Amino acid sequence: MASDPVLKITNVSRTFGAIQALKEANFEINEGEIMGLVGENGAGKSTLVKIISGFDPGFKGSYQLNGKEVKFDTPSKAEESGIAIAQQELSLIPNMSVAENIFLTGAKVKKFATLNTLSKMARPYLDEVGLTDIDPSTRINLLSVGEQHLVEVARLISREAKILILDEPTAALGELESRRILEMVQRLAKNGKSIIYVSHRLDEIFKITKRITILRDGVSQGVQETKDIDVNKLVEIMLGRELANMFPSRADHISLESKIEVKDLWPDGVLEPVSFSAYQGEILGLSGQLGSGAGEVLASIAGALKSRSGSLTLNGETFLPKSPSQAIKKKIAYCSSDRKKDGLFLGRPIFENLTSPALDTISKFGFNFGSTEDSYAKNLAQEFLIDVKRVYDESGLLSGGNQQKVALGKWLSIKPDVLLVNEPTRGVDVGAKSEIYQRMRELAARGITIIFASTDIQEITYLPDRVITFYRGMMIDEHRLEQIKTPVILKEITDPFNETNL
Amino acid sequence: MTTITQDNKTPFSSKFLQFYKDRTLLAILLSLFAVMFVYGIFFTDNYLTITNFKAIIRDAALYGIMAIGLTFVTLSGNFFLLSLKETASICGVTFAMGMATGFGSPDLVGNFLVSLLAALSVGVLSGVIQGYFVGMGGNPIVVTLGGAGILYGIGAWWSDNLVINFKRPHDAEWLGTGSFLGLPSITLAFILIAIAAELVLRHTNFGRKVYLVGANKAAGRATGHENFSMAIIVFTICSVCCAFVAVAFVAQMDSAQSNYFSAEFGSSGDMTILVIATVMVGGNSIMGGYGSTLRTSLGAIFIAMVDNMMVLQGFNSGPRIVGVGLMIVFSIIVFGLFAKGSRAQE
Repeated sequence: MASDPVLKITNVSRTFGAIQALKEANFEINEGEIMGLVGENGAGKSTLVKIISGFDPGFKGSYQLNGKEVKFDTPSKAEESGIAIAQQELSLIPNMSVAENIFLTGAKVKKFATLNTLSKMARPYLDEVGLTDIDPSTRINLLSVGEQHLVEVARLISREAKILILDEPTAALGELESRRILEMVQRLAKNGKSIIYVSHRLDEIFKITKRITILRDGVSQGVQETKDIDVNKLVEIMLGRELANMFPSRADHISLESKIEVKDLWPDGVLEPVSFSAYQGEILGLSGQLGSGAGEVLASIAGALKSRSGSLTLNGETFLPKSPSQAIKKKIAYCSSDRKKDGLFLGRPIFENLTSPALDTISKFGFNFGSTEDSYAKNLAQEFLIDVKRVYDESGLLSGGNQQKVALGKWLSIKPDVLLVNEPTRGVDVGAKSEIYQRMRELAARGITIIFASTDIQEITYLPDRVITFYRGMMIDEHRLEQIKTPVILKEITDPFNETNL
Repeated sequence: MTTITQDNKTPFSSKFLQFYKDRTLLAILLSLFAVMFVYGIFFTDNYLTITNFKAIIRDAALYGIMAIGLTFVTLSGNFFLLSLKETASICGVTFAMGMATGFGSPDLVGNFLVSLLAALSVGVLSGVIQGYFVGMGGNPIVVTLGGAGILYGIGAWWSDNLVINFKRPHDAEWLGTGSFLGLPSITLAFILIAIAAELVLRHTNFGRKVYLVGANKAAGRATGHENFSMAIIVFTICSVCCAFVAVAFVAQMDSAQSNYFSAEFGSSGDMTILVIATVMVGGNSIMGGYGSTLRTSLGAIFIAMVDNMMVLQGFNSGPRIVGVGLMIVFSIIVFGLFAKGSRAQE
C-alpha cells in the first residue's frame, strides 16, 4: 500500500454463545478511499460493522486507528474519534426540521439558538452531501427517503466524522435516489473522507469502490482491487465453492399441468402488471432484492395487498381475492415475511396458532369442544417437527426457528392448494432452516404448489424448481431446474440492464 | 442483514410465571375475598346476614352483566365501549316509554314484551352502528365517546328530561323485584349470562376468534378473521347487555329518566366507570387477547363486597368512589407485573 491505512483491523473474532459470527476477519481502509464490504447474509458483515463503530466491544483481536491500538466501549466514543455509521434504519426525528436533526445532540450549538441560526450552520454540511436545494428548515418527513439518508450523512459529517460507514444506504431506494447517494459518496471521498460501503447491490459496489473486502462465514477472503475482478469472480469468492447440503434435492422434472395462473397482477411497488403461472407440485422462487416487487406480488395473490388489476385462475375458477379470508376460502395460504407482525398470535398458545386458519373445519356448528382440535393441532405439530408437549405454551416463548415453523405449519391446517411464503427463513438458525426446506420439498411432492419470495441468494439457487427474477418492480426472466445459476440470478436482480458496463 | 438466532432456553422464572400466572392471580383475588369476609364478620355489624349477601350479589349482578358484555369488547382488542351508561339510559327510557305510553298506541300500554323488544332493538342498533365505525378503523375511544353524547342526547330529548312513571302492578315486576328459588331474578340472570358467556368464549369458534383478534389484529386478518365483523358483534353484545340491565333497573324503579345511570345508579355513582373497573379488577388485559368473563364476574362480586363493606362502615359515596379507583390501580399494577414476567419479550 502506498500510505498507511487510517483504520486497520487484524485477526478479529467474535462469538455469541455457541455461534461464531466472526472467525478471522481482517479489514483496512485508507484515507479518501471507498472500500466495499460484501458477503451474504450471515457472513459477518454487520458484526464487523458493529465492531468498527463501537457498538460491540466484546471482540478479540487488534483494532488500530491511525496506527494506534484503540478500544471503544460505546458508539459515542468511536464517534469522538471520527468514526460514524449511517444505519439502514434512519435515526432522524420525522417532525423536526432538517437543521434541528443535524444538530440533534446539541454539540457545537449555543444554549439559545433559533432555527435560523441552526439553518445557517447546517448549510455547508448539506452542500457537502449534495442537498444544495433543500431548505434546512424543512421538516424531515417532507423529504424523500433518499434525501433523508443524505441528511443522516450530513449529520455525521457535522460531527467531523473521518470514517463513514454506510450500511445498505440504497436498499430501499429507487434508481434516481440511489444515484444521488453514489454521487455523494464519491464527493465525500474526494474531500478526503474514508467510506466503508456495505451493500448487496453489486453494481453499486463495482461503480464506486476502489477495493472490496469480501467476507464469507466470518472469515475475510482478502482484499480485491475492484478493477481486477468481475461479478462472477466476486460471487464465487462470496459463496465459496462448497455448496451446503442443507437443501433437499429438487424434483427431476416440472409437471406442465398449470395449477395457478396469475394474470396481470399489479400491486403497489410493481411497475407493470405481472403474469406467470405455477405448476402442480413445484416450488417456484421469486427472486429479487428489497423493493424489487417479488414480495408484493406474493402478498397480492393472497389478498393481503391490493392489486390494481388482474386475476388468478385456480382449479378452473377465475377470481381476485380482496382479502386474506377470500384467498383462504380458495385454498391459498400466505405466510408473510414478518411473523411477529402478522404471522403469529404471540400471546396465545401454540395450538391456537396452529388451528387459527381452520376454525371452521375443526368445529361442529360453530362449537369446538377441544378433543378434535387437540388431535388436529398435535398432528400438525408432529408433522412440522414442533415439540408436541409444548403445544399449550405461549408461542412467544419459542425460538425464532420454531416460531417460523408454527407460522408456516399453521397453513397446513387448511390443506392448501397453493402455499405462498415470503422469506421462508428470515431470522432462523441453520438447523431450523434446513428442516423448513425439507418440509417445503415434501409438501411440494404431495402436490401442493409452493411459491416463495426470497432475498437470500443461496435459498433462491438451491431450493426451487423454477425461478423468476425481479428487479426494481419489473419481472426480468425465468430459469428452470439446472439452468438456475447463482451468478446469472445475481446479475438479474442487481444489474439486469448492464448499467455497470462490465 | 445478519440476524443471529440462538435457541435460547426460556428462563426458568418466566416459565414458572407462565404456568402460575392464571392460578396466582385467581389466588390473590380469592384470598382478598377471604380477608374481606373475615374482616366483615368481626368488625362490621349486620354483615353476616342473608339480606346483606343478597344485596351484595344483587349489586354485583347489575354492573356484572354489563361488565360481561364489555369483556367481549376488551378481549377482542377494541378497548372499551365508553357509552355504557348512555346506552343503558336510552334503552331504559325506551322501555319506560313502552310501559307508560305504548309508544303512542293505547293497545300497547304496559305491554312488557313489546317494550322489552323495543329496548333491546335500540341496544342492537347502537351497538351495530358504533361497532361499524370501529370496524372501519375508527378509534374505539373516540367513536364511543361520540356515541355516548348522541345516545344520551336523544334519550333526554325524547323524554323531555322528565321522569317517566308507570304504576304497579305492571308486567315487569318479576324482572325488577321478583325472585326465583330464593334469588332475585336479576341475580339469576347474572349467573346464567356469566355461564353462557364463559361457554361461548371457551367452546365456540366465535369465542376463539375474540381471543385471536384481540391478541393480534394483523395476524387475525391474515388468517381470515377480520376485526370488522368482530367489532360489530362485540359492540352489539355489549350494548344488548346494557339494554338488558337498563330494563331490569327501570322495572325495579317503576320509572325511568335519562340521567338514572349517572346519578341514581348503584352506590358508586357513575356506571361507566364502575363497569370498566369491574373488567379491570378481574384482571383482563386492556390490550386484548387475555382474560375471561369468569374473571370479570369475580371482579364484579369483589367490587360489590368492598362497596358493601364501606357502606356498612358508614362511608358515604365520595370515599367509596375513591375505593373503586384504588382497586383499578391495584389490579392494573398486579396484572402488569405478571404480564411482564410471562410474555416473551419481542
